[in-house]
Amino acid sequence: MTAAPQALRTGRPTKPPRSLAVPIGMVAFLVITWLALSEEFGIGLDIGDLIEDAGRGVDIWAEFLEPNWAFVPQTFGPMLETFQMAVIAAFVGCAVALPISFLASRVTSPNLATYLADRGILSIVRAIPDILYALIFVAAVGIGPLAGMLALFFFNIGVVAKLLSETVDGVDTGPIEATRAAGGNRIQTTRWAVMPQILPNYVAYSLYTFELNIRASTVIGIVGAGGIGQLLNAQRAFFRYDNLAVIIFELFVFVFVIELFSIWVRRRLV
Amino acid sequence: MSVRTKASRPVAPSHAKRNASLIAVALLFIWAAVSIEADWTELADVPRGIARLFYRMFLETGPDWTYLGRAGEAMLDSIWIAWVGTIIGAAISLPIGFFGARNVSSGLASNIVRQVLNAIRAFPELVLVIVVFIPIAGLTPVAGALAIGLHSVGTLGKLTAEVVEGIDSGPVEAARAAGGRPLQVQRWGVLPQVLPEIVAFWLYRFEINIRAAAVLGVVGAGGIGTIVQETINYRRYDKAGVAIIVVIVATILIDIISGWVRRRIIAGSDAKHVSSEVLEEPTFAAAGAGKIDTDAG
Repeated sequence: MTAAPQALRTGRPTKPPRSLAVPIGMVAFLVITWLALSEEFGIGLDIGDLIEDAGRGVDIWAEFLEPNWAFVPQTFGPMLETFQMAVIAAFVGCAVALPISFLASRVTSPNLATYLADRGILSIVRAIPDILYALIFVAAVGIGPLAGMLALFFFNIGVVAKLLSETVDGVDTGPIEATRAAGGNRIQTTRWAVMPQILPNYVAYSLYTFELNIRASTVIGIVGAGGIGQLLNAQRAFFRYDNLAVIIFELFVFVFVIELFSIWVRRRLV
Repeated sequence: MSVRTKASRPVAPSHAKRNASLIAVALLFIWAAVSIEADWTELADVPRGIARLFYRMFLETGPDWTYLGRAGEAMLDSIWIAWVGTIIGAAISLPIGFFGARNVSSGLASNIVRQVLNAIRAFPELVLVIVVFIPIAGLTPVAGALAIGLHSVGTLGKLTAEVVEGIDSGPVEAARAAGGRPLQVQRWGVLPQVLPEIVAFWLYRFEINIRAAAVLGVVGAGGIGTIVQETINYRRYDKAGVAIIVVIVATILIDIISGWVRRRIIAGSDAKHVSSEVLEEPTFAAAGAGKIDTDAG
């Protein structure tokens, strides 16, 4: 017996009950924002001061607008190094991340303990920003591209394993059942039922990590881990804004070209 | 005369293209590994180097827990920087996102807005802080927050525009039919549909910005990044170890809280399921990337 059709009612419908979540969220938001903005606890943001000081910035900005193009040849070496580091770290990182992602998904992980352990390690790997990796590896193995590649390697594992394990979570289970029914063991199931489904995503994520590595190179170079960032930091220390402008422009073009390339590849994958 | 004369296997598809790409990638890797000016024999020393560092950080004298207060304060500074940056980004990106949505503004206007957003996204926070904000605000947390805010406008604006484009047009028509003025239509027809998803994006961006704030510390914008760099430079590894633990614990805690709130917001709304690929984009803030998109450029 289903509910009888309700009698036609006129008038306003009753309001849904108010949830407490919204007011609580609003209060939390206001308190945190007040703390964050205050001079005493937070960062002390004063718009008046900012407007006053904006004039100071104009002179420096003007220097950025006159790039020293003669500096271009000096950037080739570090740019090449950045490219090489990005290739190596993305290649090795993505290769290592593949089995890690399979262990981090309930679909392909052999048991709960492995799954939880893998997830736990991954969340620690992901919690460390790339700059910290760079600082740690520079301290451990010295200044140079090796430290940078190691930093990028760990950073890439975090990115790819997170994305890929979620893709594995979302695969169609039909092929998995079929492979099991045909007598496939866990590895065979992963290889023949899961892999073909996630492969396009895997390629897309790998390209994406490569792109990230080029962008991240500015950051990790600042602490001495090689590549264009190291040059950028040196020019910054000498206040050579005209040279900095060249480096930033080149990076912009570099990233743009790589982005176009990966869009082209991804289109062909779909 | 049967139609099917023999039961033949289907022809295996050609793998030529796939194999060619695989070989190309392998060659690229080998070229990079051979030509880079790095001494690969040092790779053998890496485990020892890391073990030594780990030993100095946590075992030699034990972590210097007296440093916990200072590191915690610095981490809090980073959190404030990320919070203020996220609010700046959210506040500016919300109206811009509406203008970037084709169904709200016109096709031309939305194209222009999207291109501007793409250009903003192309500059990592680190570049923004060095070029734009340190000249104005000096080596202060404010410079960091502004850089994070501006960069966030790029990603949040784009996501907002995409969500607004995906709305159900029913409520919009209803609001219009009821005599709503343009702004009222947006407020009552569009906003309630998109707000849960957009707030979830804001929270997610906050998680990313925490990591970005740590990076900005290294160029002097304050916060935990400055602390880790200083302690490592002065070889106070016992203190650096504490700072790193603080980063890991605080980041994971915030990820957990923020992730829980995000899921509640999305689950409590009628919002269409947000694919985790969009919401959980791995955008590494420091690297200043946009989400995996096919129409960037």
